[in-house]
Amino acid sequence: MGEVVLEGRGIKKWYGKLQVLKGIDIKIEKGKTKVIIGPSGSGKSTLLRILGLLEPPTEGNVLFKGRDVYAEKLDLNKIRAKIGFVFQEPSLFRHLTALDNVKLGLRHVLKLSEDEARRKALETLRIVHLEGWKDHYPAQLSGGQQQRVGIARALAMDPEIILFDEPTASLDIELTWEVIDTMRELAERGITMLVVTHEISFAKEVADEIIFMDDGMILEEGPPEKVLMNPKSERARVFLRRLLGV
Amino acid sequence: MEFLLQYSRFIIEGFITALTMTIIGVSGGAVLGITTALLDVYGGRVSKVLVGIYVEFFRGSPLIVQLLIFYFSIPAVTGLNWDAYTAGAVTLILNSGAYQKGYFKGAIEAVFKDQLMAAASIGLTFRQTLRYIVLPQALKIVIPAWTNELVSLGLSTSALIIIGVRELTSIAKTIAAQTFRPLEVYFTIAIIYFIWITIMLKIMDIVYRRVRIPGLEVSI
Repeated sequence: MGEVVLEGRGIKKWYGKLQVLKGIDIKIEKGKTKVIIGPSGSGKSTLLRILGLLEPPTEGNVLFKGRDVYAEKLDLNKIRAKIGFVFQEPSLFRHLTALDNVKLGLRHVLKLSEDEARRKALETLRIVHLEGWKDHYPAQLSGGQQQRVGIARALAMDPEIILFDEPTASLDIELTWEVIDTMRELAERGITMLVVTHEISFAKEVADEIIFMDDGMILEEGPPEKVLMNPKSERARVFLRRLLGV
Repeated sequence: MEFLLQYSRFIIEGFITALTMTIIGVSGGAVLGITTALLDVYGGRVSKVLVGIYVEFFRGSPLIVQLLIFYFSIPAVTGLNWDAYTAGAVTLILNSGAYQKGYFKGAIEAVFKDQLMAAASIGLTFRQTLRYIVLPQALKIVIPAWTNELVSLGLSTSALIIIGVRELTSIAKTIAAQTFRPLEVYFTIAIIYFIWITIMLKIMDIVYRRVRIPGLEVSI
């Protein structure tokens, strides 16, 4: 087993009286791509935000490279900088160009010089094939391009892991592919990823491991062929049948 | 109308006073408005209540009454001795700040939550998020509303006549009384206000065009 980058132990989350997560254990190893599938409302996005340190769990522990983030009272901002996050809605800073969106964290969080930050931001935009769009504002980009800038913004920080929260959910079919292709390229580059998605083909071809969540619990876990082709639980079977249309 | 030329020096002085008071009021009010808006949006319960009381007082009473309170009542109670210009400037700042708080609050809240979460996700601190994400957008979004405040406060400086500040309206009243020609005098002054306001609107329009960002436009 490789080095564990991010781990959740016994994660529970309540919103008021509603329990969204009912004790989740999850580990993501370096260089691996893990995909979470499951019906909407199953707690996938909440789990991702908790692992991304964007909200605290009600109970349980989040460990980043073996260190318990909340118990050890680590500086959240410092660790967030090492955990990339790509949101469901393209959440670009609307007053900044594509280049400046990518550059902001490099300048003010990683404290790179203006020249270094610019060079690094351009290099990252090239990876997502958007170097020609660097001076465009978010409103001048398509949804897919915006998501790819969002990916570049996360990637440029040289994170230990990138979390994707249904990055194609708000996109048309054609735009979905360009984002999925970009994510596929990242996986090939060995970037550690945890991806919530409904794109089964991505899960099947790219994931090292798939998790099926329902009702705040992990019901299935394992390599794609096992979870997708031969699920143990009835709920996973129903979900997959509907998703795959078979 | 030639008789007015001999008073031109006073008219110009009155205009400069009105302009100065407007600039002081609107810029002091902007600092106050941004501060109170941030306290209202991100502050605790106590700061929200205090901001609420301040805003309600200044938006819920006439400017003239506020001027009278600051020039006559407060010195009477506190023994504070300030001249009409200082009292007037302080009142205008507080009054404008109360209105600008509303504009800035709206603009700050227009910077959507998703961007705040994105800012957190790359490791920006709260302070950095305000500085690099929230304020740059809010300051641009607010310009149209802020322009209205500039015009409104500019015209409101005529209320300063009540505490004896020698601004444009007060000068006009004196000239009208001396020349017995209120018709020409007041119309001329009204036209001067109109030209002044039109120029300010034009300038703000140019500023807005300059700093405008695609996708961040707001209709007035």
